[in-house]
Order: sequence, then C-alpha cells, then structure tokens
Amino acid sequence: MSVSNLLENWSKVRHTHPVGDVPHEEYKWAMAIDLDACTGCNACSVACYAENNIAVVGKEKYAHGQAMHWMRIERYWDEDEREFPDQGAQFLPMMCQQCEAAPCETVCPVGATNHTADGLNSQVYNRCVGSRYCSANCPFKVRYFNWWDYPDQENAWPDEMKQQLNPDVTVRTKGVMEKCTFCVQRLTAAKNMARNEGRLVKDGEVQTACQQACPTNAISFGNLVDAESRVHKQWKQQQVELAEDAQAKDEYFTDLRGYRILEDLRAYPSVMYLERVRESAI
Amino acid sequence: MGKDIREDISWAKINEDVLRSLESPRRLYWVILLVAMLAFSVGIGCEVYQYNVGMGVANLDNPHVWGLYIATFIFWIGMSHSGTLLSAILHLMHADWRKPIYRFAEAMTTFSLMTAGLFVMVHLGRLWQFYYSLPYPNERALWPNFQSPLLWDAMAIFTYLSSSVIFLFIGMIPDLAICRDHLHPGWRKKLYTLLALGWEGTDRQWRNFRITYLTVACFLIPLAVSVHSIVASDFAMSQQPGWHVTSFPPYFVAGALYSGCAAIVTLFIILRYVFKFEEYMTLPILKKTVRLTFAIAMVWTYLNAVEFAAVWYSHDQAAKDVLIQKATGPYAPFWWMMIFCGSVVPLTLAFKRFQTNIPVLFAVSLLLNLGMWLERWMIVAPTFSHGYYPWTWDHNQWPSLIQWGMVFGSFGWFALLFMVFCKVFPSVSMYEVKEMVYHRRLASESQAAAKGAH
Amino acid sequence: MIENNFNRRDFLKVLGWGGAAVTLSGCGFTSVQDGTETVVSYVEPTEYALPGIGVYFNSTCAQCDAGCSITGRVREGRALKLEGNAASSINRGKMCGLGQAGVQAHYNPDRLREPMFKGQPVAWDKALGLIDEKVKTLKGDDVAFLTGGMSGHVKVLFKNYMDALGSKNHYVYEAVSPSVVRAANKKAYGVEAPRLRLDKAKAVVSFGADFLGAWVSPVHFSQQYAQFRKGNRPEGRGVLVQIEPKMTLTGANADRWIPLRPGTDGVLALGIIHALAKNGLSVPADVAAAVKDYAPERVSQETGVSVEQIGKLAALLKTHTPSLVLAGDAAEGYQHGSQNAAAIALLNRVLGNVGKTIEAPANVPFPQIAAQGGNRAALQALNGKLASGKVQMLFVHGANPVYTAPLSLKFKENLNKATFKVVFAHYMDETALQADLVLPLDSALEDWATAVPEYLPEGAQLNVQQPLMEKLHAGTRGTGDILLALLKQRRANEYGKFDDFYAYLRNAVVSIKGALGGGGKDEDTFWAETLSEGLVKLPGSGGNLSSKASAAGLHFPAVVEDAAYPLRLIPSVTANMRDGRNANQPWLQESPDPLTTIVWDSWVEIHPKTAAKLGIVEGDIVEVASKSGSIKAQAYLFPGIHPDAVSVPLGYGHEAMGRYAKGVGANAFAMLDAVSDQETGELAMNETRVKIGKTGQRIIVIKEEGVAGGKQAGKKIAARLASDKVDLSKEV
Ligand SMILES: Nc1nc2c(c(=O)[nH]1)N[C@H]1C(S)=C(S)[C@@H](COP(=O)(O)OP(=O)(O)OC[C@H]3O[C@@H](n4cnc5c(=O)[nH]c(N)nc54)[C@H](O)[C@@H]3O)O[C@H]1N2
Ligand SMILES: Nc1nc2c(c(=O)[nH]1)N[C@H]1C(S)=C(S)[C@@H](COP(=O)(O)OP(=O)(O)OC[C@H]3O[C@@H](n4cnc5c(=O)[nH]c(N)nc54)[C@H](O)[C@@H]3O)O[C@H]1N2
Ligand code: SF4
Ligand code: SF4
Ligand code: SF4
Ligand code: SF4
Ligand code: SF4
Ligand SMILES: [Mo]
Repeated sequence: MSVSNLLENWSKVRHTHPVGDVPHEEYKWAMAIDLDACTGCNACSVACYAENNIAVVGKEKYAHGQAMHWMRIERYWDEDEREFPDQGAQFLPMMCQQCEAAPCETVCPVGATNHTADGLNSQVYNRCVGSRYCSANCPFKVRYFNWWDYPDQENAWPDEMKQQLNPDVTVRTKGVMEKCTFCVQRLTAAKNMARNEGRLVKDGEVQTACQQACPTNAISFGNLVDAESRVHKQWKQQQVELAEDAQAKDEYFTDLRGYRILEDLRAYPSVMYLERVRESAI
Repeated sequence: MGKDIREDISWAKINEDVLRSLESPRRLYWVILLVAMLAFSVGIGCEVYQYNVGMGVANLDNPHVWGLYIATFIFWIGMSHSGTLLSAILHLMHADWRKPIYRFAEAMTTFSLMTAGLFVMVHLGRLWQFYYSLPYPNERALWPNFQSPLLWDAMAIFTYLSSSVIFLFIGMIPDLAICRDHLHPGWRKKLYTLLALGWEGTDRQWRNFRITYLTVACFLIPLAVSVHSIVASDFAMSQQPGWHVTSFPPYFVAGALYSGCAAIVTLFIILRYVFKFEEYMTLPILKKTVRLTFAIAMVWTYLNAVEFAAVWYSHDQAAKDVLIQKATGPYAPFWWMMIFCGSVVPLTLAFKRFQTNIPVLFAVSLLLNLGMWLERWMIVAPTFSHGYYPWTWDHNQWPSLIQWGMVFGSFGWFALLFMVFCKVFPSVSMYEVKEMVYHRRLASESQAAAKGAH
Repeated sequence: MIENNFNRRDFLKVLGWGGAAVTLSGCGFTSVQDGTETVVSYVEPTEYALPGIGVYFNSTCAQCDAGCSITGRVREGRALKLEGNAASSINRGKMCGLGQAGVQAHYNPDRLREPMFKGQPVAWDKALGLIDEKVKTLKGDDVAFLTGGMSGHVKVLFKNYMDALGSKNHYVYEAVSPSVVRAANKKAYGVEAPRLRLDKAKAVVSFGADFLGAWVSPVHFSQQYAQFRKGNRPEGRGVLVQIEPKMTLTGANADRWIPLRPGTDGVLALGIIHALAKNGLSVPADVAAAVKDYAPERVSQETGVSVEQIGKLAALLKTHTPSLVLAGDAAEGYQHGSQNAAAIALLNRVLGNVGKTIEAPANVPFPQIAAQGGNRAALQALNGKLASGKVQMLFVHGANPVYTAPLSLKFKENLNKATFKVVFAHYMDETALQADLVLPLDSALEDWATAVPEYLPEGAQLNVQQPLMEKLHAGTRGTGDILLALLKQRRANEYGKFDDFYAYLRNAVVSIKGALGGGGKDEDTFWAETLSEGLVKLPGSGGNLSSKASAAGLHFPAVVEDAAYPLRLIPSVTANMRDGRNANQPWLQESPDPLTTIVWDSWVEIHPKTAAKLGIVEGDIVEVASKSGSIKAQAYLFPGIHPDAVSVPLGYGHEAMGRYAKGVGANAFAMLDAVSDQETGELAMNETRVKIGKTGQRIIVIKEEGVAGGKQAGKKIAARLASDKVDLSKEV
C-alpha cells in the first residue's frame, strides 16, 4: 500500500540518521585513514578504477574537470611561503565520506541517494534523474556525474577492455551521478555469505578495494558496531564520536591524531583521518 | 499629472481598437514572429544535441554541476511575478490604472512559467526519466523525496502555472463574449463561443464573476510569494556558502517583482507601438509603472545590502570568501555589472523627465532585466567555483555555446507564445477599460456639476 | 603444432587444480564474493567457468621487476582484478597502482596479434622457419641477444638457446636500474642487493632513493616504511630524511627534505662523517683521515646544505641507531656516481649499520634461475658492437632500446646495421618497428613463467606466473613456447619430449621438488600446491655480508658549470611510467603524478625562482635543449626542485606502441648526453646539462590540483602534528 509504504520509508530516513535514540543495529561501515602512513602513491585510486568500472575520460575531458576518480589523492603544500617545501608534502585520499547525515541525501528530488541501514550513502543509478543537486550540496565534492555516455566512448572502454568490467558493478550510463560506494558489492556479498551461515561479518572478512591495495595499510575499514573491529578500536582510542560535530577531546589540549574533515558542518562523516606526524628534531 | 485615460472614448471605439489587434497582422508582427521562431529553433537544436550526446556538451564539470540553465530558470520564474502583481495585488488595492495593462502582464506570467519549466527539463541529466520526480502512484510504491526543495519547486510551479492560467482565463470571459459577438463566423467565433461559457452579462453573472475573480486573485498572491520563496530555498536550504542565507526568500521575491516590472515596461512599450494602443497604454500609466519599478529596485538594493552585511558580520568565513570571490574573482565583471544594472541604472527612473521618455525607458528596462539575469547567474555560479572544499575550487568553468544557445532560445519561445496570444486573445481588457473610462467620466461630470452650482 | 598440444583440456585440468586448491586453501582471501547468485547469460560456458562465481588464481606481477605475487579474480573465464598474494614476503598481499593496471596490459586493444615479417603478417611456422634458416647461415658470434633483466626458467631457455647457437653475446639491459649502486654494494658488502631493513631502522637518510615510488621494490619498501613509521614499535616512530635535487614521492613523505646541489651527495656523506667524528663518534683512522678536509663550511659551500643542517643530520644519526643510509638514482647518476655510492656506503659502515639494518640476502640455490639484473652499460656495449657491424642477427626481448636509448648513441642507425632483427613484443613499439621479424607475445596473464626477484627481502623464493584465463588472441605465443620451439630446431633430441613450455616447466620444477622442499609429496600434489600458492619458498641458506667499504681513493671532482647549458636535467622515474614500457595503459595515464598531479602529458619541473628569472609561468611550452637533443613540454613551477636543476619525467613521448601512449608527452631519454660513470661505464642519467627557453606557446596545464594550488585556505583538511605533540605509543 503506497501511502503506508511512504510513511514507513519516511521514518526509515530519520531512523538511520544519528539522532541518538536509534543506534545502528548489526552494521555501521566506517573507515580510518592514517595520513602518517599514506604516501600518496595512488594505488588505492587505481584499484578503485579496477574494482568499480570507473571510466577513463581521457585528456580533453580531464581538462574540462570531468574526471571520474571516486578516490582522489590530494597533495597539499605548507602555506608559509618558504623557498622549499622542506617538510615534504601532505597527501590526502579523499572519497565519499559516507556521511551519517548526508547533505546530498536530503536534497535529492527522487531519493536516488539514500541512507542504508548499515550506514552507507547509497547511490541508486536506475533512479537518478541527473539533477546534480546532491553534488551541489556535498561539502567534499566527491560526487562524479556522467557527463558523457562513457560505455560508448572508445577511450573509456574499447571492446577488448570491456571484458575487464566487474560484473558485480553496474556500468553507469550518461546522465547519472556516481561516487564511492565503500565497495558495496563486496559488503553485500560478505553479508549474504555471513547470513547464510547465520552469523555476522567478521572483522577483516571484507575489504574495500582501496584498503586491499594500500601498500602501507593506511586505510582500515570495518564495522563500527563490532567492538572487535580495528576501526572500532581506532575510533574509540582516538575519542572520535560518530554523531558529534565537535569532539570532546578537542576542547582541551590532546595528544590524539583522530579528526574528521569539515566536521562542524554536521554531516557526521564515517571516515576518520589520523593526522600526519612530523619529526620536530630534524 | 496627465490623465490615465481620456474619459470621452466611446465604448464602441474601445471594442473596435482592441478587436483590431486581433485582425490580420501587419508585416512587423510577422517579422517579430519569424525572429522568435528562429531563436526558439536554435534552442531546440541545442537541446536535441545535448539529449543525444550528453550533458557534457554544456561544458559543466565536477563539482561545477549547475550553470545557466538553473540561473535562467530562476530568471523566468521571476518574470512570472509581474502579472500577478498587476492583476491580483493592484486589483485588491483598487489601483484603477492597472486595468489597460494587466491582461498582457497576466499572460506574461503564464508564459514565463512555461519557459522556466523548460529549463528544469533541459537541466536534467536524464530528461527521459523526469517523471520520477512526480508523486504518482506506481506498482513499486516509490515516492519522490519530499525533503527535497527541488520537489517543492516542481509542485509550487505546477500549482502556480495552473492557477494563473485559470486566473487569466476567468479575467477574459467578458471580453471573450465581446469577441464572440463581434466576429464573423469562423474558427475564431467557435473558439470564443466555447470559451465565453455563454456569458450574457446579466447582473447575476457579473456578481458571480466579481466574486470568483476576487477569490482567485486572493489565492494567487500567496502562491506568487511562495513559489519564489521555494525557488529561494533550493539554495537557502542547501549547506553551501553563499547560498545558505536566511534572507534569500524575500530577496528572491523582491528580485522577481523587480524583473517582472522591468519586463512589463519593456512589453508595454512594444505593444503600445506594435498594436497602436496609445489611447489605452498611456504615458501616465507608464509613469506609474515606472515609479513602481523604481520603488522595487530600491527594495532589492536594500535587501542586497542586507545580505552582504549579514555575510560580512557573520563568522561564516566560507560565505565571506564566496562574497569576496564574487567581487574580485573571475566573475567580478559580471557581478559589478549586476550591481550597476540593478542598483545604479534604476536611479534614472527617479527623474521625472525620464519617467515618460519612451526611448530611455526602453533602454533602461532592458538593462534592468539584464541585471536581474546576471543576479541569478551570480547566485548560482560563484558558489560552485569557490565552495567549502579548496581542492575542488574551479574558477575556469565557462558555459558552452550550447548553454548560451538554450538561454537565447528561451526568449524566442517566450516571444512566440506571447505574440500568438496577442493575436488570439484581446491583450487589453476591454470591459475593464470601459469601467475605467466610465469612472473617469463620472468623476469629471461631478466636478463640472460642482462648478455649475456656483 | 604447439598450440594444438597445448590444448584447452590440459590447461583446464591445471587451472581446475590450481583453482580448487586455492579455494580449499583459501589463501587467506575473503574479500570478494564466492558463490553469490546472479543470473548470467551463458549459452556455451567454458568448462571451468562457473557462472557468477569468482575463482582466484595466484600468479606473479610482470609490470615491473620487483616480482610481487598476485591473486587474480576470474569470473566467467575472464580475469577481472588483480590483488596481492599475502603469502609472498615481497608484497604481503599488496600491490602498487602500476601492478593494478596489469589487466590493462592483458586486455589492451593495441596488442600485437600475429607475427610480422617486414611489415607483413606471417604464420608462426614460417616465422620460426625464417629464424632457423638465418641462424644456420651464421656463426654464434654474429648473433646477439638484448633482453631485459631476467630470471627463472625462461632465462634458462634463453641461455640454452644461446649455447645452442654458440653465442656469448647476451646483453642484459634495463634503461632504469640501480646498476651503479649494485656495483658499489658488491664492493662494499660483497653482494649486489643486500636486504635493507627500514623496519629496524630508527632513522633513514636517503640520498635520492625513491623507495616509496619507483626504486627497486616499492611495494615491499612501502610496507617496511609503514612499520618504520609506527609509533608503537619498540624503536619508536622512525625519522626519514631525504636528500635529493628533485623531490621524489619519498622526499614528499620525509620529515625533512633537503634540496642538494646535483651530484654532491658523496661530499655531503663525507661531511656528515666529519661532523659525526667531531661529535665524538669513534671513526676508524683511515676514514677520519679521508674526511678531514670535509669540514662543514666547505661541504656546505659545495652542497648548498647549511652548516646547521649538516650538524642536525649528524646529531640525528648519532642518537638514532641503528640507522640506514640509502644511495638511490639521484646519487648514482653522475660520472662519479660510484664515488657517491661508495661514500654513502662508508657512512653506513661508520654508523655501524652493516649487519643491523643492512643484511645479507639469501643465496639462491640454483644460480641458473637466479635473477640477472639489467644495466645501462649493456646497451652501450651492444651499441658499439652494432656500430662495428659485428652483429648480423639480433634478438630483442623485454626491452625497447630504440625508445630508451639516448639519441647521442645513434642506436637506431647502428641497429639497422644488423641484417636480421627479431623482436619479441607485446606492442608494435619503436623497436618492433625496426625489426625484420616481430613475434607477438602472450600477456603476463596468459603465459607461463617462473621468476626469482633480484631483491629478496626474506628467503629466496621462486614465483610462478600462470595463466589466469585463456588466450585472448590465437596468434600470440608465450616466450617460453617460442624459445622451446627454437630449441627444438637445434636440439630436437633434448627438447623434443616436451609438448610445450608448460610440460617443460612442470617437469623442471617437479624434478627438483626435493630441493624446493616438496620432498615428501607426490608430483601432482606438489605441482598443484605450487600453482595454488603461486610461489615456492626456496630453503636456500642465508648468505653472508662483508663490511669493507673503504675510504681509499674517494675524491670528488669540483662541479664544473657550463655557461651555454646552465641547468642540470634530472630525468625523473615516476611510479606510473617508470621506463615507459607500460605507457599504453590508460589507468596509468589518467592516474595523476602524485607530486605535480599532472595527467596525460609530460612536464618540466622548474623552481619558481628560476622560472621568475627566465620569465616562465605555469603552462608555458618551453624547449629544454641539451647538447644531444631537445624536447618541448609544458612548464610546471615546482618548489621541490633545486634552482639549478630542471626535471622531466621518463616514459612519455612514445612515437609508437598504441593509442594511449603515442604522442603523449615528450621522450626525455632522447636528449640525454652519453656521459658515463667512470668506474662502471653506466650511462650517468643526471649528467646532462640543459638550457631552457620559451617557445611563446602557452597552455592550461591539465592536472588534478585546482586553482587553490594545494592550499587548504585555513581549513583543517590534511592536518599535521609535530612528533612531540602526539603520543603514538597507545595507538591501535
Ligand atoms: N543480466 C541479467 N539480468 C537478469 C537476467 C539475466 O539473464 N541476465 N535474468 C532475469 C531473470 S529471468 C530473473 S528470474 C531475475 C532474477 O533476479 P534476482 O531475483 O535478483 O535473482 P538473484 O540475484 O539470484 O536473487 C536475489 C537475491 O535473493 C537472495 N536469496 C537467495 N536465496 C534466498 C532465500 O531463500 N530467501 C531470501 N529472502 N533471499 C534469498 C540472493 O542472495 C540474492 O541476493 O534476474 C533478471 N535479470
Ligand atoms: N547460477 C544461477 N543459475 C540460474 C539462475 C540463478 O539465479 N543463478 N537463475 C535461473 C533462472 S530464474 C532463469 S530464468 C534461467 C535463465 O537462463 P536462460 O534460460 O539460459 O536465459 P538466458 O541465458 O538469459 O537466455 C538464453 C539465451 O537466449 C538468447 N536470447 C536473447 N534474446 C533472444 C531472442 O529474442 N530469441 C532467441 N532465440 N534467443 C534469445 C540469449 O542470448 C541467451 O543466449 O537461469 C537459471 N539459472
Ligand atoms: S594506496 Fe595507501 S598509501 Fe597509497 S595513496 Fe592510497 S592510501 Fe595512500
Ligand atoms: S561525502 Fe558527499 S556524497 Fe558522500 S555522503 Fe557525504 S555528502 Fe554525500
Ligand atoms: S543527480 Fe541523481 S542522485 Fe543526485 S540529486 Fe539528482 S537525482 Fe538525486
Ligand atoms: S571504498 Fe571502494 S569505492 Fe570507495 S574509494 Fe575505496 S575502492 Fe573506491
Ligand atoms: S611493484 Fe608494482 S608493478 Fe612491480 S611487481 Fe610489484 S605490484 Fe607489480
Ligand atoms: Mo527467471
């Protein structure tokens, strides 16, 4: 019955936001990225291309700012105008932060981008009409729109290369929005397997493609609800609370590294970063 | 000041003059119509190309995902407020002088809404799925997202469009009857007979007519205000710097009335010339309209100042940065142009000698509309180019000819609808002009009587 | 005929085994779904493909010589994604971006599909026949082989074929390789590739060794680096100092990056020893004598590194023991490159790192399959021989010398003096275009091979490369199969018994299973397990290390400036492009260079100061000219480079190869001066002097970095803490 369905879904929308009273039940997928380990090598980004059928747009379209990299590695320099960057650079792997109160979700006219019960910001390609409002309202600008019909673009996928496409991941057509999904196809599979064995997914049982590739293990990923998961321990140890827009630890001096980007916007990102460390002696 | 209208025009002459505008057109009319069609077909061509190849041809990018389509959409929504202002608001205020000009203003409302609607469509990445955003019953029990201002938009616009069509139609009924009675048999006579709904002008009909018209007018005013407030919330409800501004709804409404009035002045002058309506669209009326325009221009200017001040004294650094970016960045020329056209140019309207100077007014009204279009663009683009996330700042994005083509085409589309309307329906309300003339006559007779009593 | 014998059924049996064993042993791999139900359209499924079920096969990455072990996901008989094999001590389940792109080498639309003779397609029999006829007419010495670095059973077959022809002319060539350091290591430690233990070091001082990006075994070193940075290891968080004229990826990750005047690495090393001695570190007499002239002031004056900074370095190395000092590409690429490397080795000796963070590598029990690293001298040698017309017939495998040889060598002209050139190739690349006969190879995901990596972080290991799927193109062949066929022409009695290279390989491995630690098992089990593991750990004994780095004969020529060519060219080896052999893989072209974030083009890194002097701004198309050649490319203003140097990435500017490589960027190899390291004769990569001029053209640089230019506008986006402000000990 449509109306009742509407009401149910409505309460669901509220439900999965961290309004406090309703905690996540079985799963809440989250990440921690250690910027002191990250070397900016880009392996994660390429792995994401390989896993998620991301289109290569080519030089001209890249020049127009139409690149599709779900995972982009940003490179920052020190801002004091010193002659040489003698403290090195700062690298930041940036992908969809899977915000708990995602600004992109509320504005989508057709509900094509939603919050899942396990705390993902899902993207339903079939439903997307391409209004791009979500991208307009994403603070991190990690949404990538299909400006062209990439499946038909020679340089994206010549016939030979089509054979490499991952059958578990849709190839997006022109006019829909896409972004990092936390490799949802892997999560679903792992959950199905666990469900068939009547258990929950164990920590380390499922990895995202970027995490799997990362040579320095800078990325850890797992179930924040599971007290045994590495991600849970990291968040706990760093005293980063999912549903806070300012962390208690930051009130006073702290020797912890955990933080979330643009936290004060109250999007409640699911990705915690660990600050880069610099030796003060040298 | 001079009279709005001569009190000695005979009612027969009024019918004659207005009905003449429905007769076989002059060459000039055909020229305008042709140009409009050409302009529109440019727009069509661009859309067909974009539809087939993909939105990429608009030269938008990530994260700069919105461009002229949204800006021009707001612009046309703004236009739509003119009609409602003159027909409904001034009607309730018993401002008599609106009578000769509200009809085409009301038509403008309808047509600019129809134009605005097109931009929502061409903006969509998957136009062919647009209906997903409508709440229609379906076997999957899928609903649109009622949280999204874009959805409110869709609804507000549809409501506003339908209501203003009804309003326009109701207001025309007595005139349609006149047309019916004065025209020789033919398809037009059939059409008017149908639309006149058997109007005979009996007291009872008049009474019901007045009540209905008044009711719809009252219904329309809050709609007009809400529709642009909702367009404003597309931005104000978002979280983006430069958009997340509380004063946006009134600001947008003011902007809307502003561009609406300016457009009325433009069309007033055109119609007056094309259809030789000097008798009815008189300079004193023009003067009143111009003064109204000036007042609204100042309100808009004030609200601009309010917005800048609010941003400036807030602690929202990101919003500040966007404002600075507007004034100094790559968009600066357009932004200052907007300030100039929107706040400086209207000052000319403060001078009496310009208030009736048709060439000047024509030029000014065009500049004002340019300013108002720029305003919309300056609301949309800079926030994308200089948002929260520095890494994705993008100052080099520039709309492609495809985007410009559709903006251009939309004016063709609007003109097309408008010209056709003027040939099929009386663009000056005959019965209300008669009322007006009647009132004036009564007034002057009573004055004469007063003199004679001495 | 070979591919008939090598028929699908055997092949599937093997895969079936391998696959089954994998799924049984699981090989610790659980990240992707096995057995989810999906409806797939399958009219004629290949026998071994289970619709909707991903099967995993272990193999070896062939994108570079580091030899990482990989696990390929195969569905519906198609290889989809490569991931690291956790069992390998080299990459422990990880991979680099270059490795990820391996599938694009396999599915590449520009792969060669049939043998070509003088530009015309020929049948394989004909092709091999042509070789047969030709070699019959020649003496062994008229035939030469130019190959990339090689190891394993393919190497064995190559050697055997050369023996069969009686040719001793094997030139093992790598355009980009640490060959000078190799030689220096041999002198200092008695081995070419000692184990480097970043994970044990408290401080690492690297003279231009980009071990996180493209140096030797980047994935392995990246993992060691992660260990090294862990605050909760006993040694505490390690300190990394990178000293180099052009910032590499490693430099970008250093706690301190020190821009060094090009070529003065050795001087600085000795200067540091001098300072250490002053700080009371006990230094052997001979060394003390050797460094007495290297007082901080002089060193600072020569190297451009401040006296204070030298002091800090000495202090750091004194307190942080054990430490590790590395000599990389930036240190070795000079006429006195060996001297630089030797001085750095000496520093390690003085610091007592030898035996602590520099360990002996394991011996490989079977020398014939051990790695033979390529070097640049080989090309110069071959070039000489070609020039003298002594080479009648040339085989080229795993190299693209026409592209990588500096124009100053005139290699292309000399190459054409050989009357019959056979090139084994994946693409119609620059060298293949010069060939008389081109033999199209199977991709690494279709072919059989074994490999023993040159750099062995732990015990010796034999990597197995097995097909992940059937051949895409009927017309290609595996290197092993081609060599076997050629050997059959010469030594039928010896090789006739092998149907194909697979049979040969299986036999070769199984016959030594005892030595490979499979003594107890029967052949089939051992073989199946080997395939399922993707590698065999060789029991080989740990070798031993000598510490005889000496101060004798260390001297450094004063840097002579060249007024006409005032700047140094530092050709950079990027993680994506390396020597350019993978340039036709679009993921790599579109994956931004980590430091400049530029895509799909080459660029010229110039320090803003230098650029200002020359009136150059970002996007100017500049001409970089050396005595030997010149290129045009976009200028990129880069703070991480010494003002006296400019840097251009290698690997771009192909004139052939394929749609993604051809015409993208400019080839920096071409313009290198033919100057060599005096001791080893290796081409000195950083000795080229250049001048730089504007062409008047200007473009918008196509890069990931936006207009904010890597600034955070005061927001907390990529945040950083000083080590004394943070407590890492309790971290998870
Ligand atoms: N590309 C492609 N698409 C197709 C088709 C095709 O040939 N090719 N065929 C079409 C056809 S004919 C069909 S029937 C549909 C089938 O489409 P689906 O119905 O989606 O088929 P499955 O994916 O096999 O099953 C859906 C889910 O059911 C779960 N499941 C399995 N057993 C159970 C159970 O006992 N209880 C519950 N609750 N869930 C269970 C599985 O884990 C799976 O996630 O696909 C259609 N779509
Ligand atoms: N592992 C696994 N197996 C399954 C299922 C599963 O969930 N998991 N699902 C089962 C189910 S529900 C179904 S319905 C079956 C479907 O299995 P099949 O009945 O085999 O359906 P398809 O393989 O999708 O289509 C059969 C062939 O029809 C061809 N074809 C397409 N259009 C036409 C046409 O117009 N004319 C003709 N002559 N041929 C055409 C297609 O190319 C294809 O080769 O699979 C069943 N098998
Ligand atoms: S793979 Fe790891 S180290 Fe490399 S960029 Fe990604 S997160 Fe950083
Ligand atoms: S990061 Fe952006 S796209 Fe991802 S959930 Fe948050 S708002 Fe949405
Ligand atoms: S682009 Fe798609 S997902 Fe994003 S808001 Fe529009 S419809 Fe929703
Ligand atoms: S989680 Fe998956 S989708 Fe997201 S960036 Fe990593 S690999 Fe890509
Ligand atoms: S380093 Fe990268 S390319 Fe080289 S073998 Fe390892 S994974 Fe492959
Ligand atoms: Mo089915």
